[in-house]
Amino acid sequence: MAEELIRLEDLVKIYDTGAIKVLGLKRINLTINRGEFVAIMGKSGSGKSTLMNILGCLDRPSMGHYYLDGTDVASMTPNELSDIRNKKIGFVFQSFNLISRTSALKNVELPMTYARVGKRARRERALKLLDRVGLLSRAEHLPNELSGGQRQRVAIARALANEPPLILADEPTGNLDTAASEEIMGLFSQLHKEGATVVVVTHEENIAEFTDRIIRFQDGLVISDDRRGGAEGAV
Amino acid sequence: MLFENMNMAFSAIRVNKMRSFLTMLGIIIGIGSVISIVSIGDTMRNLFADLYKDVGVTQAFLCVGYWIDDRRMSDYFMLDDLERVKEVFGDSIAYIDSNMSTGAEAIYQKTTVSFDFTGIDYNYIDVQPVDMIYGRYLNEGDVLGRKKNVVMDVDSAMLLFGTEDAVGQTFRTDLYGNVDEFTVVGVYKKEMNAFQSLMMGGRSDRGSAFVPYTLLTWPNDYFYYLHVYASEDVDLNEFLDQLKAYVANIKGRNPEDMYMQTAMEEMSSVDSVMGGLSAAVGGIAAISLLVGGIGIMNIMLVSVTERTREIGIRKSLGAKTRDILIQFLTESAILSACGGIIGIIIGVGLVSGIGMAFGIGVVIRPAVVGMAVSFSAAVGVFFGLYPASKAAKADPIDALRYE
Repeated sequence: MAEELIRLEDLVKIYDTGAIKVLGLKRINLTINRGEFVAIMGKSGSGKSTLMNILGCLDRPSMGHYYLDGTDVASMTPNELSDIRNKKIGFVFQSFNLISRTSALKNVELPMTYARVGKRARRERALKLLDRVGLLSRAEHLPNELSGGQRQRVAIARALANEPPLILADEPTGNLDTAASEEIMGLFSQLHKEGATVVVVTHEENIAEFTDRIIRFQDGLVISDDRRGGAEGAV
Repeated sequence: MLFENMNMAFSAIRVNKMRSFLTMLGIIIGIGSVISIVSIGDTMRNLFADLYKDVGVTQAFLCVGYWIDDRRMSDYFMLDDLERVKEVFGDSIAYIDSNMSTGAEAIYQKTTVSFDFTGIDYNYIDVQPVDMIYGRYLNEGDVLGRKKNVVMDVDSAMLLFGTEDAVGQTFRTDLYGNVDEFTVVGVYKKEMNAFQSLMMGGRSDRGSAFVPYTLLTWPNDYFYYLHVYASEDVDLNEFLDQLKAYVANIKGRNPEDMYMQTAMEEMSSVDSVMGGLSAAVGGIAAISLLVGGIGIMNIMLVSVTERTREIGIRKSLGAKTRDILIQFLTESAILSACGGIIGIIIGVGLVSGIGMAFGIGVVIRPAVVGMAVSFSAAVGVFFGLYPASKAAKADPIDALRYE
């Protein structure tokens, strides 16, 4: 039943700053199955951001293998990685990262534009996704006309645009107040229940509480990996 | 995808309206001046061509060279020479006269007006058409009989007689010292545009009239120039060479001792001056286009830096190197082409305005306009290449982290 989506094998990331080489990740072995709701925790400098960049195919490991949805992406070219990001990964960032001069609708359409989805299909799906995150009435608003929570919901709608197997959220509640944070995490829980694989990188315990599995990092190594069978966030 | 890119480009241009406009300004001025200069050059050429057509492109003046030292009495032409030339060349000559004119005071009652009298043959109207509005043109009888009849234009009639219909009126004047009475047999009107009247001297306080050319060669019948219009259907150069050779022969001179002035030569020299002028000013305009292009490159570099984060976001969402490259190239091409279009509107407007003010039909070649637009877009693409490739190569992680 448990089909694996992510498998990291002896993954090493070295940062070459010129004068010294820094080990960002030290031989990580990790598997995440399809449909899991995972939190990756750690202090700053623990390596969780490095892992997040590699999982998101924004960066390439120095050594080892990263199998995403069955293919090894460790040795792909930047343009091939763009394709993987476009089709396999939906990003949700701490600072929302919406394009400020275009409407919520256009922002949600953007990944589909790069996937060369036709105009009509794109618009239809974008409206459906905005409806799903409860922002259909705000489709034509610019990001700066929306609250933080609303912006993050637009970002989630955008992350779902190409129906990627993996939702990757980097401190998604870092810029939000408690109410908005719970709202966003509730949305992730709901996505998870509908079968999505969600990986949340965070340093906040109460955010990690929403997930089923917490992987803790320290100094570039996994120090704990706790599964909490059937545990659910308080919605 | 092209449509999306253009949309994105327009939204980016709209966000920084003032900056975009200032960036375009170089291109606007460059294209505007190229269009104006080329159109003004074309219009002037057209006007001169019209003017020469009007004056007569087949026209030539011929005489024994003014540089000849051993001047002889036989260097002058006589009416017999004229008749011989007419006979020998027959239909090749549309018109021929002695190219004589003189200025004198014309007196009518208490009015005295300075007049220019031009000696013409009766068929001058064939090569210099005018509309006779009163009376008749000079006829063969006037010329052969050396009648003291004149034909004048409407303005001159108004000047001297205070009326347009001066047919039958007489005035006194002294051509070559003899005071005589002259009769007006006809009044004509010649339509000219502003440029022609400007070049022709236009309206003035001097009158002008045609008299039989036989009057002006009188009493000794010597004259210095032959004034010829070739027929439209002859090979002009060949005809003029033959004419020159023939006249040299009857005057006992070598053809190279003859001086010949042709309208063709003048026209081509005006044409080459205009061409040179257009090229020089066009070159300066091209430099301003280059400067405009550099302005675009500069602002695109600023834009790429400012939008580093946007580039990062787009890359994280799956934009490939090519997508970003095309996005920024489209933007700089549109920026430049918009400048080009505004420049064309300004240039065409300016030239048309000037043309309208002077009552001249201006020449604006669509090919030049098309070339200006494509050239400005090409400037945009060329100068956008470096900033766009800089944007396209950005590392997504660094770009996302950029504040």
